[in-house]
Amino acid sequence: MSRRYEERFKQLGKLGKKAFIPFTLLGWPNREESLKMIKEMIECEASALELGIAFSDPVADGPVIQKAAYETIASGFSVHDAFELITEVRKLDGSIPIGILVYFNTVLAKGIGSFFSLAKESGVDGILIADLPAENAQEVLPAAETNGIDLIFLVSPVTTPNRLDIILSRASGFLYLVSRLGVTGTMERSTAKDLELRALVDKIRKRSRVPVCAGFGISSQADAERMFEIGVDGVITGSRVIQLAQSSSSCSSGVLKQYFKEMVGASARSNRYEHCDS
Amino acid sequence: MLTQGKFGAYGGIYVPETLMPALEELESAFLRSSKDPNFLREFRDLLENYAGRPTPLYHAKNLSKAWGGKIFLKREDLLHGGAHKTNNALGQGLLAKAMGKTRIIAETGAGQHGVACAMTGALLGLKTEIYMGEVDIARQQPNVYRMKLMGAQVHPVTTGSRTLKDAINEALRDWITNLQDTHYLLGTAAGPHPFPTLVKFFQQVIGDEAREQIMALRGSLPEYVVACVGGGSNAIGIFSAFLNDQSVQLIGVEPGGHGLNSGKHGAVLSKGTPGCLHGMKSRVLQTMDGQIEEAHSIAAGLDYPSVGPEHAYLQEIGRAKYESADDQEALAAFQELSCSEGIIPALESAHALAFVKRLCAGASSSPNVLINLSGRGDKDLAEVMKHVQTL
Ligand SMILES: Cc1ncc(COP(=O)(O)O)c(C=O)c1O
Repeated sequence: MSRRYEERFKQLGKLGKKAFIPFTLLGWPNREESLKMIKEMIECEASALELGIAFSDPVADGPVIQKAAYETIASGFSVHDAFELITEVRKLDGSIPIGILVYFNTVLAKGIGSFFSLAKESGVDGILIADLPAENAQEVLPAAETNGIDLIFLVSPVTTPNRLDIILSRASGFLYLVSRLGVTGTMERSTAKDLELRALVDKIRKRSRVPVCAGFGISSQADAERMFEIGVDGVITGSRVIQLAQSSSSCSSGVLKQYFKEMVGASARSNRYEHCDS
Repeated sequence: MLTQGKFGAYGGIYVPETLMPALEELESAFLRSSKDPNFLREFRDLLENYAGRPTPLYHAKNLSKAWGGKIFLKREDLLHGGAHKTNNALGQGLLAKAMGKTRIIAETGAGQHGVACAMTGALLGLKTEIYMGEVDIARQQPNVYRMKLMGAQVHPVTTGSRTLKDAINEALRDWITNLQDTHYLLGTAAGPHPFPTLVKFFQQVIGDEAREQIMALRGSLPEYVVACVGGGSNAIGIFSAFLNDQSVQLIGVEPGGHGLNSGKHGAVLSKGTPGCLHGMKSRVLQTMDGQIEEAHSIAAGLDYPSVGPEHAYLQEIGRAKYESADDQEALAAFQELSCSEGIIPALESAHALAFVKRLCAGASSSPNVLINLSGRGDKDLAEVMKHVQTL
């Protein structure tokens, strides 16, 4: 298993901080800008990185990420290019945990064994396969173990208790809490629904020590704060990052920097919620 | 899940976590209902009195003479709605009711499945929303209008290739968001388990009837059973009754589009490779990186870059063979059935006919062939008129 997630969450815990994990698609809008954007994340002290490999049919993604994926594939940016880019990112920071978010067909097309070893060679710590339910984890488990890569799993508000047990028995790195039903995106959230998630987070806490990070529709400081309030260890934001990059001329412009700083700030202030995790 | 839904290495469940409870709920409803005499009685009743089953088996003598075979047509074109899709839509509609759902969503390519769902929604009082690629909306206008007439809402899909594949993506995204009150009424024997199994269950009536009818008519089994293959529901429906009859050759006909070497076709079983799309492992048309490629066919209902997992399996174990017919052959067969028998077939079904013409031409003695005439061609007139100017 990779130690980077474990160490990073331990560190944050000691400081009484939460994790801010920004997401972007590798190679979007092009190789250079993508690298700049990720560099910005690191410089703004993101806690970990979640990097997507573009897939033609991303059923868990909303319009923003779909469009970016479509553009990335159309530009000819390949899976090989994605791993090369990760290699460069790893050179920038030897200790930040790097997770990749992929769809299963991308893994199968390379072959499960080669995909995981390519990931390891490029410096990846965790792999989340969006359409591989925990029941089928055994298909990739040996490759993950051989290469010391954490398998990150999704948990949703509608996950049943016996499935939660299956997921928790396989999860490492962190657990990705799908914080609302639906696809990725930046639609309005419901405060009432968010607060209902607390019971789920508590249930996970009782059964597992794996850190819980919430994603799907988390865009603002307020969203993040509400998630910290219900006890999660970190937040993941994706569509908002891509939207901001779209609206600014260059990915290294001040807009993104300011956003990353705000979100990192919200995560650092989170020690007021410390009572939530024990 | 209580069952795996694997067909050899194919099938299974590969979906985002959020969909798992919906698939578990569907599986348990299906396991219960498929053994429940009341459910089965209601389904039968709708098939007979609403949809018009059994459909006839027709010995197409003129066509047989022209092509040199003994050709029997299973007349799903005469089913209410105009295609075999009605069987599955009614079955799953009842299942949706049994689960207490109030809304159904569906993808459609040719519009036949959309029409079948719109009918079912109107009949059973379920709010109905259909996802359809922009490209398909343009080439299947009459069906779009029929859906709306029966109260369904039609959402144009503008992502990706803007055809069936993308309509399925959108329907899955809707389902992920609304699974509490919504059933995704998938239209073909593909997708995550339990769909391939339950769609086959609702479509096997085609094969059961046809087998009985041909035995009554001829006293023996046909040598060949032939069906077109998009996702594979009409084919698996008719094959299912003959799987244990080793003397019967099962042949699925995929769309050859502009030709198998043109890069513009939908011949997934001839040209595809193993992969994972829309919740299942099957064969897919894909690049080296696993990006899904666009399929092409003149028949919107066959324009799909993957195929139901059971077909991938039947091909692998050699129980069924998969051939293809291209756009031109399908158009020719479309016209030949129309003028020889006065039956206008769906362009999808015309692919099965086109293959049979080739089969007869190459055979030394005239073969006995049962063809699943999966639908009627009224919906295709505008498309055909674009390609065939002079009659
Ligand atoms: C008349 C007809 N036949 C065949 C098909 C292909 O679907 P399947 O392979 O599931 O039978 C369609 C799909 O729209 C259709 O409308």
